[in-house]
Amino acid sequence: MTSLDLTDAARRPFTGRRVRFGDVSLQVVAGAAAAAVTILVGLIVWKVIEGARLSISHYGLAFVTRIAWNPVLGHEIYGAGSFLFGTAITSLFALVLAAPLAMGVALFLSELSPGWLRAPVTALVETLAAVPSVVIGLWGILVLGPALRGHIESWLHSAFGFIPFFGDPSPAGASIFTAIIVLTIMILPIVSSISRELFLGVPHDLKEGALALGTTRWEMVKGVVFPYSRGGIAAALILGLGRALGEAIAVTQVIGGGVFIHWSIFDGGDTLASKIAASYQGSSTNLQTASLVYLALILLVFSLVANISAQLIVRRVARRHGITRGGHA
Amino acid sequence: MPKLGHPIRTFTVLAAAAAALAVAVSSAGAAPARHSSTTITGAGSTFVQPLVSQWISPIGSAYGYELQYSGVGSGAGVAAITARTVDFGASDAPLTPDQFTACNGCEQIPWALGATAVLYNLPGVKNLLHMDGPTLAQIFMGQITTWNDPAIAKLNPGVSLPSSKISIAHRSDNSGTTFNFTDFLSSASPAWNSQIGKGVAVNWPVGSGGKGSSGVAALVSQTPGAIGYADIAYALHNHLSYFAMKNKSGKFATPGLRGMLSAATSDETPAADNSLSIVNPPAKYANAYPISTFTYVIVPLQSSKAPDLKKFLFWAVTKGQTYGPKLLFEPLPKSVLVVAEKAIAKIHS
Amino acid sequence: MSAQGLTGPGLRVDRLPRRRRVNRAMELLAWLAAAIAIAILAIVVYSVARRGASELNLNLLTKDPIPFSFGNQPQGLANAFVGTLVIVGIAILMALPVGILVAIYLNEFAPAAIRNGVSMVLDVLNGVPAIVIGIFVYGLIVVGHGQSAIAGSFALACLMLPLVARATMEVLALVPNALREAGLGLGIPRWRTTLSIVVPQTVGGIVTGTVLAVARVAGETAPLLFTTSFVGTQTHWDPHHALQSVPVAIFELSESADPQDHARAWAAALVLLIFILIASLGARWVATRSRAKMAAR
Repeated sequence: MTSLDLTDAARRPFTGRRVRFGDVSLQVVAGAAAAAVTILVGLIVWKVIEGARLSISHYGLAFVTRIAWNPVLGHEIYGAGSFLFGTAITSLFALVLAAPLAMGVALFLSELSPGWLRAPVTALVETLAAVPSVVIGLWGILVLGPALRGHIESWLHSAFGFIPFFGDPSPAGASIFTAIIVLTIMILPIVSSISRELFLGVPHDLKEGALALGTTRWEMVKGVVFPYSRGGIAAALILGLGRALGEAIAVTQVIGGGVFIHWSIFDGGDTLASKIAASYQGSSTNLQTASLVYLALILLVFSLVANISAQLIVRRVARRHGITRGGHA
Repeated sequence: MPKLGHPIRTFTVLAAAAAALAVAVSSAGAAPARHSSTTITGAGSTFVQPLVSQWISPIGSAYGYELQYSGVGSGAGVAAITARTVDFGASDAPLTPDQFTACNGCEQIPWALGATAVLYNLPGVKNLLHMDGPTLAQIFMGQITTWNDPAIAKLNPGVSLPSSKISIAHRSDNSGTTFNFTDFLSSASPAWNSQIGKGVAVNWPVGSGGKGSSGVAALVSQTPGAIGYADIAYALHNHLSYFAMKNKSGKFATPGLRGMLSAATSDETPAADNSLSIVNPPAKYANAYPISTFTYVIVPLQSSKAPDLKKFLFWAVTKGQTYGPKLLFEPLPKSVLVVAEKAIAKIHS
Repeated sequence: MSAQGLTGPGLRVDRLPRRRRVNRAMELLAWLAAAIAIAILAIVVYSVARRGASELNLNLLTKDPIPFSFGNQPQGLANAFVGTLVIVGIAILMALPVGILVAIYLNEFAPAAIRNGVSMVLDVLNGVPAIVIGIFVYGLIVVGHGQSAIAGSFALACLMLPLVARATMEVLALVPNALREAGLGLGIPRWRTTLSIVVPQTVGGIVTGTVLAVARVAGETAPLLFTTSFVGTQTHWDPHHALQSVPVAIFELSESADPQDHARAWAAALVLLIFILIASLGARWVATRSRAKMAAR
């Protein structure tokens, strides 16, 4: 199995003998690398906090909820409120759209696909994950945005325009709606590949037991596969959410920009990440720069929470299933 | 005895090769470059970027300098030179006293004369459309929303205007072009002046933001019915229509060389900080295009690259101006040129 | 683990036709989902290929850009391709040794507590958004010293490190303990056993992991946006200066109004995509082959 089984004696340099210089050197050098990585992460957190310090001391925690962003000299005021809203709307809707699609793909690959089709389709879905975000953004600006505006946005507006959600179609196809579609495309591969591995990992005897009881395949999936994989799916969704939160480039290319909160998803806006990407290079005062780093700090906190939650869930699920698997001989 | 030495030997050889490669790549800079050994870096205004881009090649042939210019917007350009991340900054908006203090020993020098065109995208309407300041202000405040509004129709008698919606494109970054444009709107419309004012960035009531002049030009060219603003060179380069703007004498002027030159004669004496204001000139300048502006290079008075910087800037305000007209940058008037050269001479190491 | 809803009343035979219909519908939906996912990929790749192919010529790789050119002088993105080569190359030199050493330490030497802790640190590093890494490196290196390709490489190395370390850890774990114990039993010192016996077994996996990491960071824009974006138009190789890179060039061209700029962006995107696809698919193919080989052993 893994090297977990190495005996204790094998780990310690030979006790009682001359301690070999080579052994100690390797352990020190390799250990230093591990220490350096830990220090790096600490350095990242510290540098981000330090960069935001001017804005933190100016605004405190009120910054997080204030809906304002005015870089006009003499009237400067900054707040993260509208970008938190933008991040929440785009990420959550992308997740809502991507989750069923990803589940469908994963189910297809684990249950329905003929053997010869499985490998190519898996490779194709994972290839979607390999497309760089700037290329998806380029496609979003020049192809997806205009297509959405011309066909989908105008139809949605004319059909459901009474709901403030579906306001006037965006002028150039750059809108929160386009950003949601782009994010959906970007998180689909992650969620589907993790789900596929989960579904493939469901013990055969459980699945076949259900089928033997006379269930249809869908009932078996609903009754065995989903409940068994519940924790892992939650982790996959959280990881997908984390990906959506941190996506800056593709989003800033298609989201249109804006500092106010609009109800219509066809208006422009910004997320935490896209605002940073759009404004950082052009920042003209120290307070503006610090406020942008403050946005990065908030983003970092969210990403860390999402990441660590996903890991904790995975750990808990692995432990639970480890025990369960042991129980089924 | 099993062959243990080989993997280690292989690894050591590989590591040595990697190290050698790293050293070679880093010292690539020390080797004499194919082109120039002196780079002059600048950042700022996208307004003047078309002109500065034309200078890259001739400056390289004349003096062997490599000119690197990043169009990040006037505001960011001022920030960059303040932090001395670049050798010069470029801004269409003159520096405020606070910015001068922060820059710590910088001066601004007018180095080009151009105009902000008000771009529009109205397929199906072939005529050159007319516009004036107050109407434009109302459009950008969101009070006029359709093309066939009576105010627009009055300025364009005989033209059949569609009933489509007007989309506004403005700058999302700190922009000297925004300063020039809002300076004009504030001067032409008391309502705009009191509600919104002028600046490198303002609280736009309506519209989408584009990054840089090319971002605004992109928005306008991709959106039927859109109106935006950018240096005239961007309209030429992207085949976009632009309005003929009504000046104070009642004439509708286009952002051409004649309009700029006429506007420039309205202020021929730079102020103490070398700035000039030629927006919305008085009525006696009958041919003036009312949204013209000088644009400035911001340099530190003391620079390690002083000799090269001075050579470059002298060239820019003299020979460099000859590259302007085909992009619709009018060469600097004599009186301004004299002031500019005096200012350049002050740079020392 | 009890199966839910599968007992008695849920499986009524008289409801079988309806249950079969529901099953059929769900199967169709799953097929549809897979079709949509493939369609999206196909549409994106087709868009890039069709629009990029027209502008794809040798000029793209050999000529420098000429901004605001009015004539039709040949231009390309040579400075960006060379820059990406240098930046990614240095990033590999930074990330690879550290990643391998970390994996060696965690797998061969670390007590369980440290292994779990540093593993979590690696996962945390993996979860830091690329744009935050860009801001971090900007504050650490660029402020006061100016932009440089090395700063960009460092940012990319931070992104590559967890991927390389994790891939190396996985293949190190696959090496059977018998090998380690045999080496030790023969009296070979620990360090020699690790470096000469264990690590060479993992070279394939390390290469795969590195190639995948390179494929991942070759397209990253955000970390380079703040560290190596104030660039000129000429091709340079010196990493002490800021160098243009392909993703940043595509990003800037995508926001331009000029259709010629767009055409060049598509072409560069096509080259980037081809490179990343070959690297990813190639690495995965090698990985599945060597896994099969290991299993057959």
